[in-house]
Amino acid sequence: MPNAEHAIVVDRLCKRYGALVAVDDISFKVEKGEVFAFLGPNGAGKSVTTEIIETIRTPTSGKVTVLGLDVGKRKTEIVRRIGVLPQNFSSFDRITVRESLRYYARVFGCKADIDALMDLTNLTDKADAQFNTLSGGLKQRLGIAAALVNDPEVVFLDEPTTGLDPHARRQVWDVLKGLKKRGKTVFLTTHYLEEAELLADTVAIISRGRIVAIDSPARLTEQNAEKAQLTLESIDASALGLIRKMGFVPTRTGDGNVQVPVAGAEDVRAILEEMHRAGLALPGLDVRKPNLEAVFLKLTDAPSDDRPDGGEA
Amino acid sequence: MTPRIIAANLDVRLRSFYRQKSAMFFTFAFPVILVLVFGTIFTTPDHLNLDLSVQDLSRTASSTRLIDALTANETFRITQVAADVDATQYAREQKKNLVLVIPANFDAPPNHPLGQGGVAGAVPLTYVYDPSSTSVTTKIHLLDMVVAAANQTATGVPPRFKLVPASILPERYRFIEFFVPGIIAMAIMTSCLSNALNMNAELRQKGILRKLSTTPNTRADWLVSSILYQLILSAISTAAILLVSYAVFDVRLHIGAWLPLIVVVEVIAFAGIGMLLTPFAKEAESASAVANAFLFPMMFLSGTFFPVEMMPAFLQSFAKLLPLYYVNEALRAAMIFADDPATLRSVGVTAAFAAVAFAAGTFKTRWDEGT
Repeated sequence: MPNAEHAIVVDRLCKRYGALVAVDDISFKVEKGEVFAFLGPNGAGKSVTTEIIETIRTPTSGKVTVLGLDVGKRKTEIVRRIGVLPQNFSSFDRITVRESLRYYARVFGCKADIDALMDLTNLTDKADAQFNTLSGGLKQRLGIAAALVNDPEVVFLDEPTTGLDPHARRQVWDVLKGLKKRGKTVFLTTHYLEEAELLADTVAIISRGRIVAIDSPARLTEQNAEKAQLTLESIDASALGLIRKMGFVPTRTGDGNVQVPVAGAEDVRAILEEMHRAGLALPGLDVRKPNLEAVFLKLTDAPSDDRPDGGEA
Repeated sequence: MTPRIIAANLDVRLRSFYRQKSAMFFTFAFPVILVLVFGTIFTTPDHLNLDLSVQDLSRTASSTRLIDALTANETFRITQVAADVDATQYAREQKKNLVLVIPANFDAPPNHPLGQGGVAGAVPLTYVYDPSSTSVTTKIHLLDMVVAAANQTATGVPPRFKLVPASILPERYRFIEFFVPGIIAMAIMTSCLSNALNMNAELRQKGILRKLSTTPNTRADWLVSSILYQLILSAISTAAILLVSYAVFDVRLHIGAWLPLIVVVEVIAFAGIGMLLTPFAKEAESASAVANAFLFPMMFLSGTFFPVEMMPAFLQSFAKLLPLYYVNEALRAAMIFADDPATLRSVGVTAAFAAVAFAAGTFKTRWDEGT
């Protein structure tokens, strides 16, 4: 089988809606067993790409294979081997958690261990609650459980934590870590950079229908981020002059603090020692490491509303 | 198409339906209530008010005989009006639609025909009536008949002609027998259309469709389970309507192989129409509005509540474009008249409607939300 070593291969994929180019000639590969985070602002073509890989939409041109199978030709086979949590997952209002999972298991024709799935997603207490009585976090967890009934090789999670409170988000993260431990390939789209940083092996960033960066979160930050930012609280002009003399480029912020881009911990120590030697009082300070969020903001544009993204298209 | 998936879909739909009490009410209880209400109003024999006010200014043996004749066979319930009041004023004030005035010179010589004039020398019997009342015409006819009979007795001439009724309908055909097939057709249409539209809007609006399209569930699976679901609901609702009609009104209808066949054809026809209407009902809120916009004219113009023949000619022609008209025709031909050729004709037209609507609906509905 071609590309059998990859879970997903996207090759020169294009998707157009009339004159509008939603996805513009993108290519990438997802290794088996990795957590692949797919990031991008709203309207960048993220959901369209995801739904093409999930076999919900069809590409205009290009080739997409999932587990070596062409999404255009082998939908039936692919669908049995993947599990999908769509964006804003929803289910039948008056059907309970247990019944929903049993329903999806019957549809897939597999003997799923419903109790184990509810256990994994922490839903056992809510087994007999109807869908319309569940909170957002519970609904998402049911969606994840439903995506796992057929014991899929690739799990797609489209914005699994959007709209969840911090506790609910952490619970979903725990489920995700559990999936990774069990060797599942996870294709994750998210708006939360910390989520990608925490969970993903590979991060791809899409902007205006094109992939602008793809690498591990650590390397992406290393290559693209600005320097670390040292913030010194309310220091006077002499201290500012001192730092300038050392060759740094400090800037005053509106609240009277001073920000100094630094290369690392060595620079911070040097600045503090120099101030100490000059007999200046040591100020309050804060050091921000470069992160994925900074990379994301640098590489992508502000969201635009004129691109289809999601089910309404 | 996979039977296992169809069964799973059916199970989920029936559970959802069972847990939604308002849907249960409108599907099962509402048609039954309609049958009970309309059946009671239109089949109670004395719904026609046969009160008659009589002002007897003669007060003789012959006037008493006439009043006896009027009350015989429970034709009229007589209210006597005092001699000193004005009959017209009395009718207005007491809201009586018919007052008969027997004149003082009523006790005419024998062999002198009675009547309101036209016959020379006849004694005028005046009746004061309210032309805006709908039942007064019938009462005047009855009054005429009693007076004619009294004339005959008075003159001693035997009747020359006699009317013999021969109904085109089986015995005891009443409004209720006309009404029940109409309600069966209406209940099936309503439940098919509104369930199809609401379910589709819910699936679409909530994005369940997106999830379903990433499972082995195909459009054909979903469609077949929807049809089966509608058939089960229709069977239960038809059974409930018939049970109540038999138990309460003792209806005489022919229940045979035609009934289930007509139900199946109607379900397919309206499932197809439901699919064609879904693009107009994207949200659950507009779904019921779209359904009603379609259901109400259909209900009133297709002869559900009254025969289409009562409507002006142009509306009758319009009714013949509506599928429900043919369902009604088919059900009545089968259940009231047991007329196989007529039933077959209407079933044929309905089936043609069903085939076209279903094919067009299937063609138009996209399982995938966007491609």
